[in-house]
Amino acid sequence: MRRVLSLDELVVPAGLVVGAALLGTLVSISTQTYFTDTLVKVAIVVALYVFIGNSGVLSFGHVSFVALGAWTAGVLSVPAAEKPAIMPNLAHFLLHRHVGNLTSLVLAAAVGGVAAFLVGVPLMRLSGLAAGIATFAVLEITHNVLQYEEKIGPGLNTFSSVPETTGLRQGAIGALVCVVVAYVYARSRFGRVLRATREDAAAARAVGASVYRQRLIAFTISGLLAGLAGGLYIHLLPLQAGGLYLDLTFITLAMLVVGGTSSLLGAVVGALAISALDSWLSVAENGMSLFGWHVDFPAGTAELVVGVLMALVLIVKPSGLTGGREFHLRWRS
Amino acid sequence: MTVTWQNLADGFSLGAIYALMAVGVGLVFGVLRLVNFAYGQLIMAGAFALALASQWGWPLWAGIVLCFAVVLAMSLLMDRLVFRPLRGHSPAVMLVATFAVAFLLENIALLSFGSLGKIATSVASLNQPWSIGGVDIRKIAVVAVVVAAACLLVLQLLLSRTEIGLHMRASSMDFATARMLGVRANRVIAVAVLISGALAAIVAVLLTVQSPLVTPDFALQDTIVVLAGVVVGGLNRPVPATLGGFSLGFAIGLLGGALPTTQSQYLPSFIFAAVILVLLVRPRGLFDFSRTVERV
Amino acid sequence: MTLVVDNLEVRYGGIRAVQALSLSVAPGEIVGLIGPNGAGKSSTLHALMGLVPARGSVRLRDKELLGRSPEDVARAGLALVPEGRRIFAELSVEENLRLGLAGRRARDASPGFSGVYEQFPLLYQFRKRQAGLLSGGQQQQLAIGRALVAEPDVLLLDEPSLGLAPNVVDVVFAALTAVRERGLAVLLAEQRAQRTVAAADRTHVLGGGELRLTLGPQDADDTDKLVGAYLS
Repeated sequence: MRRVLSLDELVVPAGLVVGAALLGTLVSISTQTYFTDTLVKVAIVVALYVFIGNSGVLSFGHVSFVALGAWTAGVLSVPAAEKPAIMPNLAHFLLHRHVGNLTSLVLAAAVGGVAAFLVGVPLMRLSGLAAGIATFAVLEITHNVLQYEEKIGPGLNTFSSVPETTGLRQGAIGALVCVVVAYVYARSRFGRVLRATREDAAAARAVGASVYRQRLIAFTISGLLAGLAGGLYIHLLPLQAGGLYLDLTFITLAMLVVGGTSSLLGAVVGALAISALDSWLSVAENGMSLFGWHVDFPAGTAELVVGVLMALVLIVKPSGLTGGREFHLRWRS
Repeated sequence: MTVTWQNLADGFSLGAIYALMAVGVGLVFGVLRLVNFAYGQLIMAGAFALALASQWGWPLWAGIVLCFAVVLAMSLLMDRLVFRPLRGHSPAVMLVATFAVAFLLENIALLSFGSLGKIATSVASLNQPWSIGGVDIRKIAVVAVVVAAACLLVLQLLLSRTEIGLHMRASSMDFATARMLGVRANRVIAVAVLISGALAAIVAVLLTVQSPLVTPDFALQDTIVVLAGVVVGGLNRPVPATLGGFSLGFAIGLLGGALPTTQSQYLPSFIFAAVILVLLVRPRGLFDFSRTVERV
Repeated sequence: MTLVVDNLEVRYGGIRAVQALSLSVAPGEIVGLIGPNGAGKSSTLHALMGLVPARGSVRLRDKELLGRSPEDVARAGLALVPEGRRIFAELSVEENLRLGLAGRRARDASPGFSGVYEQFPLLYQFRKRQAGLLSGGQQQQLAIGRALVAEPDVLLLDEPSLGLAPNVVDVVFAALTAVRERGLAVLLAEQRAQRTVAAADRTHVLGGGELRLTLGPQDADDTDKLVGAYLS
């Protein structure tokens, strides 16, 4: 009888996250930002995996939920005195609300989840190309609204003055929460039924699985995690609407694809690997010494390399670095 | 909201340009079932070619030739390196792949030319207004409509009167059966890619006249809107797709000028809400009245 | 110009649809291929046409066709009239026929369809009409005509009588006889066992992807033998 709870599928991704965080404690404070950014990216990519990996349906819209989570956490945690400076047209009921760090993260996750549910109700009937286009439209709408609607946020301004509470610890805990939730979901009956529909939708329907309902559940959970990631993100960097749009969508999708779309391990590995590469190249763009030579890559090299990598993986090995499989400690009786 | 003759001209002009882009995108989708996210980057490359030619002091006609050469070469490369290995994968994978290529090309441009971009000065003369019946209409608006109409006419003749045109039409309806009859797949695809590229080059010229500042994200937003228009109009058939592109271009060109900024800034949201609505309620598109099975 | 098939094997994933199939069709012959649904008739024809990957050997005039793309196989001299006809409903009858020209080898041959119009006068009558508006039987004639336009050496037909009224089936089989007289080799996959066995020079019975039995026209009235072959 196979063990239902294969803990090694949780331990390895979680271990990688913790390992990355511990590595971050060894470097200078300024470099730590790269590590924390990596941990936030892990959270986003794991959120993507929960839906895309299990359902096989493409979503271009998850960064919307990241953005909504970021906006929620940000607006509510900017100190009341500073709100008028960056958000002069903020709606009245938001102007005087202020919450603590943890509450802001919980609310960010909640908003992400609710938004995902509302979007999912109409959209989960779609598959394939239609789903990709529709979720892309959601991204466009969210970006457009957040960019110009000044009653709920800073609009075109940069979201500054948010308390910078996401250090290595908060980032690691946030990423771990996402990994655990993703693991529990994937092992649950819901996750397994959804994966069955991914393989053969007709057969799954024949045994009574509701494709729509399972996708909606996964979409909502992944929206919740994305919202949480957004909350983590705004507490790390001053963001603006443009940074939560196409570039972030591309990078996080690339991380998932390169790592391996159908596995949790793939999500974590992809996020860590690409982030590491991206960060290293970004540092190199500012000039550094590599094995004794002075290296100075021009600005934009990082994105270029990531783009080439993603295109190559898609063409050569579409199942990604992990082949879409989880890690199993091999002992055979 | 007050609509002036200039607003109308802008509407028709942008509609015409978007119609050409819609055809370019639709042609490739028809034979490859691939939505080319990187189409805007082809236009961007052509625009940069014009800007560079301008910078090097080349005459206008030489710049346009360079523009065509660059865009056609890139189109063929894209087919060979990206489309061909991906044939047979699911449409979603192909969408992500072209997304990656678009991102890649934009960053190459960023690396090569910087984010400030270049200015194509040689084409500026076409941006001057004509006085027609006492109203000032920019020359480019008229040129765009005339050029687009001519292109569409030529294309229509090509598709309906020539052998390769017949092969292309059949391939977009049922590629497997067409091949079984002897239609050469690679040739049909190459012709579709080349025509699509030629249209991109034409659009590059028309757009550069209207906005001579060429940046790495040149035509990105236009491409996204055209893709939305094609989906709303009807992805599967050429005429509805073109109508969809034209309608959105006309609406944006007209309303963008006629509406005050506070209202027009939310135009994208309405457009994309329309896309979602169409995908849910009438997936074959608003202008598709045929009786064939939908493929989206 | 005989078509020689040797040890053909067609697999879909783990399922073997056709295995160890060998047959040949000479010019002026009609060879039948009968068997129940799932026996492998369509898979065989699709493999010959290069539409599905297969192993073994398919030779025409000493040229190996297996492994080539469908358009190459068409241009080499094979033509398939597929199951369900698969005509282009939105194109006119004439345009459908013009598509058949893509498989033609001789560039100097006259582009007219006089031969086909003679064989199927109905197609000439409806040549400007949208193909989707034709009846099932008329579409079947169009599908055969389209294949003949390419002037192939071998004509493959996948269940041409499917869903057709008996008098239309007569027209189809009459056309096949005429085609045979012109020197083409015909490989006919059918479910109408008796008709096929009677019309063909020899008929192979397929079951589970394998060749079980070969019948001649003299067996056409032997119902026991036919039923036994089907159920074996």
